[in-house]
Amino acid sequence: MNLSLADTLNRRAFLAHSGVGLGAAALSSMLHRDAVGKAVSHLAPRAKRVIFLCMAGGPSHLETFDYKPELARQHGKPMPDSFTKGQPIAQLQGKPLTCQGPMASFRRYGQAGLEVSDYLPWQAKLADDICVVKSLVTEQINHDPAHTFMNTGTVISGRPSMGAWVNYGLGSAADDLPGFVVLTSVGGRNPQPIASRQWSAGFLPSRFQGVEFNASGDPVHYVRNPKGVTTPQQRRLVDTIQALNRERFAAAPHPEIETRIAAYEMAFRMQASVPELMDLSDEPASALELYGATPGDGSFASNCLLARRLAERGVRFIHLYHRGWDHHGDLDRYMKICAGHTDRATWALVTDLKARGLLDDTLVIWGGEFGRTPMFQGKGGPGRDHHIKGFSMWLAGGGVRGGQSYGNTDELGYHAAENVVHVRDLHATMLRVLGIDHHRFSVPFQGLDMRLTGVEQARAVTDILL
Amino acid sequence: MARSSAIFLIFLSATTLACLGAELDFNRDIRPILSNNCIFCHGPDEEERKAGLRLDTREGILQDNVVIPGDTDNSLLIKRIDSNDPDEQMPPPESAKALTAEERALLHQWIAEGAAWEDHWAYVAPKPVPVPEVKRKDWPLGAVDHFILARLEEEALPPVAEADRATLLRRLSFDLTGLPPSVELLDRFLQDSRPDAYEQVVDELLGSEHFGERMAMYWLDLVRYADTVGYHGDQDHQISPYRDWVIDAFNENMPFDAFTKAQLAGDLLPEATVDDKIASGYNRLLQTSHEGGVQPKEYLAIYAADRVRNVSAVWMGGTLGCAQCHDHKYDPYTLQDFYTMAAFFADIDEEQHFKDGTNDLPTRRAPEIDVLSRRDREALARVEKALEDGAIAPDKRARLAQRRDAILANKRRTMITVAKKTPRVTRVLPRGNWLDDSGEIVAPAVPAFMGTVGVKGRRPTRLDLAHWLTDGSRDSGKQTARVFANRFWYLLFGRGLSASLEDFGGQGSVPDHPELLDYLALAFVDDDWDVKAFLKDLVMSRTYRLSSQATPALLEKDPDNRLFGRQARHRMPAEMIRDAALDMAGLLDKHIGGASVKPYQPEGYYRHLNFPQRRYHHHEDARQWRRGLYVHWQRQFLHPMLRAFDAPSREECSAERPRSNTPTAALTLLNDPTFVEAARALAERLLRGDRQEFEARLAQGFRLALSRGPTTVEEDLLRTLYQHEQEHYQKHPQDARALIQTGQAAVADDLDPVEWAAWTAVARALLNLDETITRH
Repeated sequence: MNLSLADTLNRRAFLAHSGVGLGAAALSSMLHRDAVGKAVSHLAPRAKRVIFLCMAGGPSHLETFDYKPELARQHGKPMPDSFTKGQPIAQLQGKPLTCQGPMASFRRYGQAGLEVSDYLPWQAKLADDICVVKSLVTEQINHDPAHTFMNTGTVISGRPSMGAWVNYGLGSAADDLPGFVVLTSVGGRNPQPIASRQWSAGFLPSRFQGVEFNASGDPVHYVRNPKGVTTPQQRRLVDTIQALNRERFAAAPHPEIETRIAAYEMAFRMQASVPELMDLSDEPASALELYGATPGDGSFASNCLLARRLAERGVRFIHLYHRGWDHHGDLDRYMKICAGHTDRATWALVTDLKARGLLDDTLVIWGGEFGRTPMFQGKGGPGRDHHIKGFSMWLAGGGVRGGQSYGNTDELGYHAAENVVHVRDLHATMLRVLGIDHHRFSVPFQGLDMRLTGVEQARAVTDILL
Repeated sequence: MARSSAIFLIFLSATTLACLGAELDFNRDIRPILSNNCIFCHGPDEEERKAGLRLDTREGILQDNVVIPGDTDNSLLIKRIDSNDPDEQMPPPESAKALTAEERALLHQWIAEGAAWEDHWAYVAPKPVPVPEVKRKDWPLGAVDHFILARLEEEALPPVAEADRATLLRRLSFDLTGLPPSVELLDRFLQDSRPDAYEQVVDELLGSEHFGERMAMYWLDLVRYADTVGYHGDQDHQISPYRDWVIDAFNENMPFDAFTKAQLAGDLLPEATVDDKIASGYNRLLQTSHEGGVQPKEYLAIYAADRVRNVSAVWMGGTLGCAQCHDHKYDPYTLQDFYTMAAFFADIDEEQHFKDGTNDLPTRRAPEIDVLSRRDREALARVEKALEDGAIAPDKRARLAQRRDAILANKRRTMITVAKKTPRVTRVLPRGNWLDDSGEIVAPAVPAFMGTVGVKGRRPTRLDLAHWLTDGSRDSGKQTARVFANRFWYLLFGRGLSASLEDFGGQGSVPDHPELLDYLALAFVDDDWDVKAFLKDLVMSRTYRLSSQATPALLEKDPDNRLFGRQARHRMPAEMIRDAALDMAGLLDKHIGGASVKPYQPEGYYRHLNFPQRRYHHHEDARQWRRGLYVHWQRQFLHPMLRAFDAPSREECSAERPRSNTPTAALTLLNDPTFVEAARALAERLLRGDRQEFEARLAQGFRLALSRGPTTVEEDLLRTLYQHEQEHYQKHPQDARALIQTGQAAVADDLDPVEWAAWTAVARALLNLDETITRH
């Protein structure tokens, strides 16, 4: 978490008046914030925050936004070698590869006639608000590394996730909440494991890491007072600790003591602000109905409503995971379950943000860590295997032109064939929307200038922006 | 906070150091400028090299009049860096790199003064250096102090005075055992007026079996020891005997070369013992996966890369991992080097788990063996010997048999290394692409520019690699010694002599005290890799004993303490914070070794784990209060307390932990039941003291928590807190009972719950103080 501006200023004054003769260099090395602020001045920002709706497991592009009539015609026939030869394959390794036609019907929606499958009737209503990118590619074919790649731009452990980068670059605008919050939900096929490294700060200072808010138990670890301790008592205890630390500072001054005093104040404030945020009892019934949320149920719908509350309170990066999209088999059944959990709430979130004027400066991104093969896989009814060479995601709000699609896959939905968008291009685009030039946004680590977008050339897809 | 400072210190390093030393030094002043701004395009990577120009070698800079020694006017380098024409200018504007005026001035000066060139410091073996003379003859206690004081005198910076004895003992105790000094030791040391009192206590602590635990804490970070596989389902794997072997090895003061060989190649040692096999588990510490759909070929490539990264980071202080897809951008490691290093590990038999890895807890990771710990083996031998005596009474025989069975029940399974008869084929993977079989087949070899392991007529093995890394008669061994001299220094002084503990390459930090670092490295080798002797030399120095409180002059001229004119003060590692709280509470279970333990953890924390779904059950016996290094290390969801205080997930080597200072950490110390239980146990301990006055009890609390007594102001603040709490709990006795029942420790019924709860609040305050969790 960030110290508030007031804290930072106090800290300056504190250092200046503490009688500790710190040199200018030492001072600036401690006031990390000065250097961090540089990032925001690259370009005019179009959005101030990101809500990332991650459909973990990898939803099928072929049953959501990428309609392939040719694949229907080839249904049941062998997948042509020309597509698959030399390509990485996951669970279908060494098995016959057969075309599986689309399992859903598609219709055109909105002024631009965006194609959306019947599994997603609510998102279809957003046709004029979203931009579907049909030509995403990633580099990792197994879930865990693919999430790591989507979040950090590399599979090497220990790198910051995009939420941490954004939080680091822009700082939190919330005084009593972390700048990067993660919310998860389950439902659908066997839930995907999600490692906490997905919201790690990597080599960035750990206060920029994502903080997971939980629907049950303590909303944040250790945010509740111990049993037998009331809030006024906790306040008194923290006040005493602060006074003792100030006493120590007088005897043996060090800036870390002052930082600790600020951290304890923030910790105490979070003990009130986090439960207040999570408590939906101040939401009118109409809001709960809009999302289809039941307070405290830990559902994707509740998380969408919480995402709006977090956005209102200045949180920079809000990352939702719904962990049910790994449809190797019985795709029809599981698509219905997953859509049932997420479709309406996704529509409600975008609609609600729009109604509150928040969509203009919020970038909403929807998608999984990869897509699914045009080939049949049959673990209990037709399904599809992992696929990384072409899949769909959508973006909305934050300067994104709605009512369009961008890029295309080939006629069988295998390779991204037109206007290919690599994961690092998605990162560059996201940063661009936030006013950050991805190329200049780097941090030295182990001798390299590390970037979210890595060392390969990345491009911000400005064609999709207003 | 600490980590962000570290990041920005890198920006500052060039200027600060240049200001400190007047004469130009190529490795310190010039190489970093070239490395940061030029080498990416004009460096060792042939594929990326622009205009055929390389600026990382002497030959390179002299070619085509790029640099003409002594002639700035005609040196192309100067023309290009001073140019305002975007087509001419270097570095080019699109590189987003730019030289500062100061850096340009330094390059001018360097060329004007003859463009002296030195090889990169870390690739040159440590050289014997004379111990420098100093003016203040009475200050140095040994060679270390000569080096430190000579440099401080050069800068006209007097070092601070020594720390007071209590602070010194506390520092020493945490540094060598990871635990606070007991009140008995504190009293004994404060009253010991013998001239060698300090050395006595140094020997006592180095001889403590907690020394091995403290050293293991650090070693396990380097080698990425964890209790789970890391990828996908993050199932438990079985390796805790390896952790205990590390502890034993440090306690027995196993020479560092033997320590290295046992881990890299214990299985290849002649007549390998059970301990050697356990140690060879090092090769199995990497992350593994049996996720449905993994392609063995891909994962074998991932594992090979993981091993190369780790062995080069741990023993060579190198970032050879960067050469997986291309020649290194800054260092002379080639793509070829990466794969020849990988080939050393191509004999490790481990492919079985792609087939038989199960979603059980623990999962299977053949080859594994069932072993007893060294302690248990020794105990068993004693029992069996006793049983051999035909004359023992039947009841005693029965007891012994029972004891034998109890020991045998302690057997634990552990992953080991077994060498395949025919190693896997290792190919250079073009651009790191595991699908590409076009690359050359390579045999094991160390990076070409560093020489060879010196084996003829057969395939070099992991054991050869281990020999090469620790052969003190060769440059390679001396360089390894330098990597560790630097890290041991860091453990005792808070930062390395070179600040980059993981990277001794071109982009790493040039040592602030290169001669001292070389001196220490050679001393380590000459002393036959004796770790305890090495550490003892450091802690016996006056430099180690200095106060950590800076003078204004030191703060002004050396804010980062690169010259060590004072000691370091920093927040302690996660495990020490936990251990200290449990220890002062009297709860700490001090047994050494054993299977990993599960302390209290927030409910549902593992809910994202699957294959299988995870239910966490904390231990409900004394295992609850074992030391932090025994806590179950779940890579994907490390215990929130450890995480809040920056313990790494152990996916990769980490030679240095950040020292953050966050609200999350504050919430943990305030509310984690482990710390609340420790507070109520500490309160009970104080209530059961000899004296009953508030002041006496508080003084005892301070001695346990801080190794000192309270000031009047501190006493007043805590008395006020105590009185308020007492008042509150008198009105709400049910709250008092709730608080003192936190955790599993027995709740005595002979104490007044109101008093106990009020003292628990005081104890919580003590556990949360900045000073309590800081090493000074």
